[in-house]
Amino acid sequence: MIRSIVAAAVGLALASAAGVAVAGPVDAPGYAKAFACSACHGLGGNSTAAATPVLAGMSAWYFKKAIEDYASGRRVSAEMEPFAKMVKQQGVDDVANYFAAQPRAPREVKVDRAAVANGRKMSIVCAGCHGDEGGGDAARGVPSLQGQPAAYLKNQMLLFKADRRSPGEPQLASLKAIMKTMDDAMLADLAAYYASLGR
Amino acid sequence: MGHVTRRQFLRSAGGAVAVAGLSGCRTGAGEIAPPSGRRVIVIGGGWGGATAAKYLRMADPAIEVVLLEPSTRFVSCPFSNLVLSGVRKLPSLTFGYDGLRTHGVILRHELAQALDADQRRVRVADGYLAYDRVIVSPGVDFQWEQIEGLAAAKDTVLHAWKAGPQTVALARQLQEMADGGVVVMTVPPVAYRCPPGPYERACQIAWFLKTRKPKSTLLVLDANPSIVSKAALFRAAWQSYPNLEYRQSNKVVKVDPAKREVTTEFGDVVRYDVVNIIPPQRASGIVVEADLVGADKRWCEVDHLTYESLKAKNVHVIGDATIGLPVPKSGTIANAQGKIAAAAVVSLLNGRAVAPMAPLNTCYSWISDREVIAVVNAYRIDHGKVVQIEQKLTPGPSTVYADHAVAWATNIWNDILA
Repeated sequence: MIRSIVAAAVGLALASAAGVAVAGPVDAPGYAKAFACSACHGLGGNSTAAATPVLAGMSAWYFKKAIEDYASGRRVSAEMEPFAKMVKQQGVDDVANYFAAQPRAPREVKVDRAAVANGRKMSIVCAGCHGDEGGGDAARGVPSLQGQPAAYLKNQMLLFKADRRSPGEPQLASLKAIMKTMDDAMLADLAAYYASLGR
Repeated sequence: MGHVTRRQFLRSAGGAVAVAGLSGCRTGAGEIAPPSGRRVIVIGGGWGGATAAKYLRMADPAIEVVLLEPSTRFVSCPFSNLVLSGVRKLPSLTFGYDGLRTHGVILRHELAQALDADQRRVRVADGYLAYDRVIVSPGVDFQWEQIEGLAAAKDTVLHAWKAGPQTVALARQLQEMADGGVVVMTVPPVAYRCPPGPYERACQIAWFLKTRKPKSTLLVLDANPSIVSKAALFRAAWQSYPNLEYRQSNKVVKVDPAKREVTTEFGDVVRYDVVNIIPPQRASGIVVEADLVGADKRWCEVDHLTYESLKAKNVHVIGDATIGLPVPKSGTIANAQGKIAAAAVVSLLNGRAVAPMAPLNTCYSWISDREVIAVVNAYRIDHGKVVQIEQKLTPGPSTVYADHAVAWATNIWNDILA
């Protein structure tokens, strides 16, 4: 198994040399409502942990859907349910727009090249909805998978497979059927592939 | 930098250039540096103070931020109970302060000896530091005098309630105890740092004994009438630990290390082989001596939006030292309060309105080497006060929550220090 460290450098926000103020993670609109999220999701939503999704750059429509689903229990999470309710009380649009506007920070990730290559081959079945590079399709309500931590992606696939995420939702029936055809190792490779993209 | 004037220095202090600032600016009358109009002193480099210092600099790089913290290393209390069971080593919980320096925080590794709120200055070893506002994140001190014999036995009767050498020493005492021994630990009366912490510790010690010294037992003597936090989850977890005996309403009032005995307030005498006394607590000495504590003489009341002390202007108190908010004395809360106080101080120094900011809490407890339970609290601001929206517990223990706990630690340690 070949492992290499890939240092990515996407979305670097460069402060203007002319002195024009650039809204950073602590003075961007919505910060006063989004600041507490960084304890678990990282400054500006740039999580560096395996199990926590990156919120930086997340499409506002998908952020809002996730908050709705956590608050209603369609996505089951003891941790996120109260926080989703909190975000809704504060104004979900402001929080969603804050994270959508945050640049993805460069991040060192361990890439298992064999897993990524295998995941890329298997991703053909996902591409019909998520796109060739996993960028998603907002018009059809399909989220981007690019650059999310592999462990987070795999956990979500396992939840779909067990029908424990959005149970009974018709739009997800084919996705869940696909997940059921895959074992743990296959899901891990798919997750490794999508985690390696967009960085 | 000696030839640069203070004004030029401040103008240029947009980056990581401020480190040498104070030492070259000594003036008369014991003042190490003249008031700059833009200086915030942060007392205490723990979860609240280190966060506040970093976020002050990120929000307004023109503000000079001086952090007073005697220790050169940050040691995480969360996860340190895992050192007692040997699941973790202390170095994996130990970090430097270099990240704060890259934000331009001026670190002075020394004790803030006294806070003079009237003169707006802090006494340090070689004089005074003036401030425009001060954020005090002093943590807790122990009330040794509440337990007879404890003050004289500080070096052998360990608390291990501030992660560091005592954590390692208590782990060693547990490892060296002969199998068949009795470990006694105490839970202090509320309020104290980290409400579920003592019960997580009981789990870790019981797990260690069960797996390494199966003839040994753990006796938990709780000063409180019941388990203070996550009660049902801990009670369920303890089903796996028949070697753990829990006695509520058993306040320990005396320790005799020569006889290896503790005495409860009812006069029961219990013999131990290893003892861990978590003493009663109050806000750290500096805020008690500055008379920032309330009628209880233990904790500091603050404004819920700015964390400014109700007893002194321009003094903001955060973290475990505060009382009167519906929040636990937890690391996540201290981290959130650090950000809120920093934003409020920056707004106040710049003549802007203070935005209401509600904290949140996540708290993970390890009930074995691999399973975790959690509680979270969501809040809102209502008429200038912090109000709880909801508290929710995990349905039970899980390795999934262990993954979440590690993820939380990874991101929050970076949020505080990187």
